[in-house]
Amino acid sequence: MRTSSSRSLLDISCAATLERPDRTARIGDWSRTAPQPEPGVLAPPILEAHDLTKTYDLGGKRIDALRGVTLSVGAGEFVALMGPSGSGKSTLLQLLGGLDRPSSGDVVFEGRDISRLSDGQATKLRRERTGFVFQAFNLIPLLDVRENIGLPFTIAGHDANRGELKERVQQAIELVELTGKEKHRPDQLSTGEQQRVAVARALVTRPSVLLADEPTGNLDYTTGGDLLHSLWRSCDHDGQTIVLVTHDARAAAYADRVLVIGDGAIREEIVLGRRIDHSATPLIARLAQIGL
Amino acid sequence: MGIDRLAWRAVLARPLRSLLTIIGIALGVGVLSASLTLSAALDASVGRTVHDIVGRADLRVSAFLDAGLSDSAVQTIRGTQGIATVAPVIQHRTFLASTPGGGATNAVTVLGIEPVSYDTIHDLVIVRGRSLVASDDAGALVSEVLAKEDGYQLGSDLTIQGPGSQGPLKVVGIVEGFGPLGGPGRTVVVPIELARTAFSLTGVTRMDLQLAPSASEAATTAALASRLTEPYVLASPAGIAQSLRASSADFQATAALVAAIVLFVGSFLIVNTLSMTVGERAREVGLLRAAGATRGQVGRFVFTGALVLGLLGSGLGIFTGAILALVMADSVSAATGLTATVPGIDPSGSATAALIGVLITIFAAIEPAVRASRISPVEALRARFDVPAVRRARAWWVGIVFVTVAFLALIAWPPAIAATGSERALAVYGVLLLATLASPFLLQPLARLLGVPVGMVLRIEARLARVSLARDRSRTALTLGSLVVGLAMVVALGWSAQAARASAFAWLNDVVPGDELVSSIRPIAADEGIRPILAEVPGVATVTPIAAFDIAFKGFRLDAAAIVGADVLADGRLTAVAGDRRAALLALDAGGSTIVPTAVATRLGLHVGDVMRLALAGGERLDLTIAAIVDRSIPGPGGEAVLVGWKDATDHLGVSGADSFAVRFQPGAGAAARQALSDTAKTYALEANPIERIQGAVADALARVFSVFDALAIVAVIVAALGIVNTLTMSVVERIRELGLLRAIGMSRRQAMRMVIVEAGVLGSVGVVLGSLAGIAVGAVLLALGRGLGPIAGFPWVPIEFAAALGFILPVAAAIYPSRMAARVSIVDALEFE
Repeated sequence: MRTSSSRSLLDISCAATLERPDRTARIGDWSRTAPQPEPGVLAPPILEAHDLTKTYDLGGKRIDALRGVTLSVGAGEFVALMGPSGSGKSTLLQLLGGLDRPSSGDVVFEGRDISRLSDGQATKLRRERTGFVFQAFNLIPLLDVRENIGLPFTIAGHDANRGELKERVQQAIELVELTGKEKHRPDQLSTGEQQRVAVARALVTRPSVLLADEPTGNLDYTTGGDLLHSLWRSCDHDGQTIVLVTHDARAAAYADRVLVIGDGAIREEIVLGRRIDHSATPLIARLAQIGL
Repeated sequence: MGIDRLAWRAVLARPLRSLLTIIGIALGVGVLSASLTLSAALDASVGRTVHDIVGRADLRVSAFLDAGLSDSAVQTIRGTQGIATVAPVIQHRTFLASTPGGGATNAVTVLGIEPVSYDTIHDLVIVRGRSLVASDDAGALVSEVLAKEDGYQLGSDLTIQGPGSQGPLKVVGIVEGFGPLGGPGRTVVVPIELARTAFSLTGVTRMDLQLAPSASEAATTAALASRLTEPYVLASPAGIAQSLRASSADFQATAALVAAIVLFVGSFLIVNTLSMTVGERAREVGLLRAAGATRGQVGRFVFTGALVLGLLGSGLGIFTGAILALVMADSVSAATGLTATVPGIDPSGSATAALIGVLITIFAAIEPAVRASRISPVEALRARFDVPAVRRARAWWVGIVFVTVAFLALIAWPPAIAATGSERALAVYGVLLLATLASPFLLQPLARLLGVPVGMVLRIEARLARVSLARDRSRTALTLGSLVVGLAMVVALGWSAQAARASAFAWLNDVVPGDELVSSIRPIAADEGIRPILAEVPGVATVTPIAAFDIAFKGFRLDAAAIVGADVLADGRLTAVAGDRRAALLALDAGGSTIVPTAVATRLGLHVGDVMRLALAGGERLDLTIAAIVDRSIPGPGGEAVLVGWKDATDHLGVSGADSFAVRFQPGAGAAARQALSDTAKTYALEANPIERIQGAVADALARVFSVFDALAIVAVIVAALGIVNTLTMSVVERIRELGLLRAIGMSRRQAMRMVIVEAGVLGSVGVVLGSLAGIAVGAVLLALGRGLGPIAGFPWVPIEFAAALGFILPVAAAIYPSRMAARVSIVDALEFE
């Protein structure tokens, strides 16, 4: 049952009210530890930010990258952070994912404040609960596809070539449609394939939240579209919570909700709802309305 | 901005790498400079020593027999045409009756001189009192060292012990330092007539001769040969200098060889650093090329950087060399027996070393410069994953640099040293070059194999460490190569020391028929009854006398020793390689036979059954038939001794008594027997030395020699460790983004740190394996071609263990900084890193 595409773009005030997709299309046995709201039920927030600020001191010059950002991301939601270069969207993503600490304010992840975690606790969080995809793929050049995807398990001290973990790596490979290329090294793959490896690596641990920073920035139009569709599908089919940073309206149009950031603060919230066609036209029109 | 300025900025941009490279060059240049400075100091010392020995004499005639040169020989020499001045001396070891305070005293050397003629040829520097004035002067001079040790002052009484001693003499003067005979410096100088009377001698020990201005050395030598009928040894200052140089040439050649090895390692560091700079700056170089820079300008960019590093490193190396030379001077003096006085910075050695340092740096820069100039702007700017192949070092270039350094090293040393060690040096260079070139091919399989145990515990760290080592194989190979070379030298020199020690110990055990040697400073005649007294000491089984002396054969001076064949036979000593051992030893006692060591037989082409015709006093000859050739013989001052029986020694060869007694204890005799022997020996002014003590002295002497080489080899390993710091730091810098990613997906700081340390550990382990193998090969070359080190013996377990500890600990220590750097990587910054 997919009804989200038939909804009007702007009459849905909160993504949390979305009707949830049919979850019978899950791949394999990817049981989730994140809360899974039933269709039509208000999704509890999995990720929240309260009055976040981030200030850098660059050679004595104070730069306010974030100026009091407050937001909430529901479980299974696909949220896009949009804004021009230097607006603070990547900084916000890094704080949400525990890669960096805020100057003030809190980040609450699955009901737990992660903004003051020790390095070890933050490492554990990243290892077990979040997944990252970056613009610059960031694959290990001398590891093959299977090894790159299984890297989080290996880092955690597990053997990714045995038992269930081997299965999960294989499922991730299938999810990103790289079957048959398991032994390829990154330089033997196209840019799109490399980014799909990065996505598979981010998803293989079944993170509660997938954080993606300009994942299509280095991809051409078609390849970028394919990747975004893969991300959307993991959200739509598997209830994967995704926070996507992009400056591209076409990419942001895959999201349920778009937060427009400017000058270190959220300037606009645009609710698109879960749609199957991913047309960017309504979003572009709305952005034009607000002068972006 | 000019290209030169850009190069300077590139050097400053990586201060740690530049600093480590400068230190590496400085150590290489320093070791080279120190080696050359010490060589020059030893050469200067040879001149000084020759002057100390013979003064202004043109020739020295020394007595061959214990009795000295007879009166008739002295008169013959005085009457030989062409000789202007003759300074006869008597030299005799004895004891003084007591110290001025009345206590016991150690042995002294008494030098009897003719004051007038002696002063003509020698400089006797009097620091207090007066000199001797005439041959019948009743005074004595003492060296400053003896005066200080025993408490002599001007006016002190001094009594020389001897068969004709005539009561105390007055000390009338103190001679500077060690006195006229050099170290150890316990010397008393008296008028020659007084010495002759005290020791009841008729002849003189030697005569120093000054030639008339019109006389030639050759003509005088020929005249002496035709006129003198008793055996003598003729020496000239040039001959003595040559002999002294020869005695230190092996040491200098080995020191030069090890210094060259440090240079190799240093040159690897330079090539690696410049290659890293080119790799790191490839994008900039691409931009420069895109902006219109010519290939020549790009090449100059690299050369200028190299020149800056070379000049700074060489400048620092001059000071490092001066300090190293000062630190090593004492060890070198102890090892060579020559006093190496280092006068601060030696201009010639320092300049040569610095020039070589700069030349090697510039030479090492050629390939990276050419490579940089060939970087395509498009390729450099498009580089996405990994450095393009063009940015990597070429392993073959290391081979060329290696050969060039070897060539420079060979021509840098003084010709005499180069000639002594060139064959051996070339063989060692060849082995090390082979090991270096093989390293890249063996790295991965060995890393995989040696990484297995680590991987069982630290899976991800071991996997990523191996991946990192494979990232730039040439760079890893260069780093590994320098470690292999350094460790190989540690193993090789350790093995050489071990073999030399084992050889010396085996030698002593094989030839000395006793557990202790009781030695005397004067010959003890058989009728003095000392042998039976020692034999009666409780616990003593046998006592056999040994005398050391010289014989003249076919113009050669040979060391000889008188032994009791039956005693040696009963004790089971000596190993015959030709002839019947038992028959030969018994034939010695019967007279008319000799036993020759292999070394002498080989050198002189002697065989069992040959007759050695020896020159005797009064123009007589003694024929000795070679009854056997033995593997090793009793060591003498100049080599292994030709063995003769006591009958021939006393009847014909001028031997008046035993210098030492070999004492064998009864089985089970313990410390009490040793103590009793020692006490009895002291009663008769004899000194008992257990074989273990002699072995200990041999081991100490060898340790002094090898400590210098070991120190230099360890410098090579330290330079290699600097290269490892550079390589690992570069490896971390190159992987900043990867490290950021790994940290982002859950790698802990500790894991990141361990990853780099494991990388160093794997590199070190591979270095230890390859270094040990290369070290065994180099050691075999050193032992096969080195003189006096002994045959290949045992397996160098201890040197390998030492090299393993060094090869593992140093790389891991070198990894501390890069590993901390890896652990501190900011994820946010790393992911933005370009």
